[in-house]
Amino acid sequence: MEPLSEAQVIANLRQTEDVPAQYYAAWWLGKMRSRHPQAVTLLLDTLSALSQVPVDPERRGVALNAIRALGMLQDAPALSALLPLLKSSDYSVREEAARSLGLHRATEAVGPLCHLIAGGPEQAGREQPGSALLQEPCEAILEALGAIGVATPSVIETITPFTQHPRPLIRAAACRALLQITGDQRWASELEQLLLHPEPLVRRGALLDLGATGWTASLPAIEAATVESSLKLVALRGLAEQSGDSTILDVMDRLL
Amino acid sequence: MPSVALDSAIRHLDDARTTPELVRATQAICAQEDPAAAPTLIKVLGYNNPAVAAVATQGLIALGRAIVPTLLMSLDAQNYGARAWVVRVIAALRDPRGLELLDRALQADIAPSVRRAATRGLAELDLVGSTAPADLSRCYLALFRAARDDEWVVRYAAAYGLERRLSLTPPPEPLADRGCALLQELSEECRENVKVVRLRAQLALQRLSTG
Repeated sequence: MEPLSEAQVIANLRQTEDVPAQYYAAWWLGKMRSRHPQAVTLLLDTLSALSQVPVDPERRGVALNAIRALGMLQDAPALSALLPLLKSSDYSVREEAARSLGLHRATEAVGPLCHLIAGGPEQAGREQPGSALLQEPCEAILEALGAIGVATPSVIETITPFTQHPRPLIRAAACRALLQITGDQRWASELEQLLLHPEPLVRRGALLDLGATGWTASLPAIEAATVESSLKLVALRGLAEQSGDSTILDVMDRLL
Repeated sequence: MPSVALDSAIRHLDDARTTPELVRATQAICAQEDPAAAPTLIKVLGYNNPAVAAVATQGLIALGRAIVPTLLMSLDAQNYGARAWVVRVIAALRDPRGLELLDRALQADIAPSVRRAATRGLAELDLVGSTAPADLSRCYLALFRAARDDEWVVRYAAAYGLERRLSLTPPPEPLADRGCALLQELSEECRENVKVVRLRAQLALQRLSTG
């Protein structure tokens, strides 16, 4: 099968009959970091499906892909459409919107993001009855706050209680955010402890979190972690791209 | 002939059911350091259990180059998982007889982690002395392909590999020129969009020019 051209992908997103083609097109534009002049407008158009009653599940899927793509394209005009989505009643929409706003490093999102998790681990971080989901998409929100990096006392106070959340991956996301915001070694130490967790999933999460922070002092802990090399390379890429330190490249060479 | 101790260790492996049991049994076989254990360890690679395969891989590497022919013959085209581990063993042993296998893995393997390991293997194969110049060219051509791979980690490995090859055994001029040109390409923002690949290629160019 021939790969689709950008023009074809744009046409697929514009039509509304073939929803799976739209779904793929929305994903593709983000993945390929498309600079097509129509891309952002067409992605924004798909969001209207979220305010239909009832919401069509297939078109909701297109909209979720579009939110992710709008995060990757980092086009400033999309921000005013993404911000209100944090108030959506749909958990996944809030989650994807938080991630995208984090990618945008949107300082105007800090207030609304903090508002969502202001109830702390006992409320925002409580499990929904009969579901593995928490009340709020805490991991995505914490990661976004860390990426945006506004270091006011109220942001730090909002995040800190989540370092005591019962779920290790939420603790890791909170430590990651605090390390990015404060640069305090203490949060790196917490993440390094999570690198020793018995659950492989937790070790992987903590590893990627350390990589995202670019905290070079954790290089030995990352190298020694019991995690597959492929993932260590991804984490070290984050470290190397933020610090430019060539000793990180030496470690990466050994892991190839 | 497998020794009595190895026979008994292999029977324990046959009886093992859980991952911890399989890991312990595989460790016991590795501890024999007996080349006759190679076929069993290769069989273990196909169990589709990463924890067990990692132990078997280390055991096979420890057995050294004597087992390379067994490895090459064992290659089970049907068992995709085992192939990936065999590529890693061959890459770590640096045996020139693995060239064909690594080259094919780089060209045909779907998993980026396998193409990455194959690229590293190509960078480190012992292609000196009696080895035919044709092997060296084939190795370079494979690295040139890796430099154009879709996955950043394979291009990163290519930058590492080109530096290593060019500094170890300077090839005939056309190959050297092409290798440097590709490193140049990997180092430039307008042609390589992943920063860490550019950083690695820049480091390679810097070391080659001062080495």
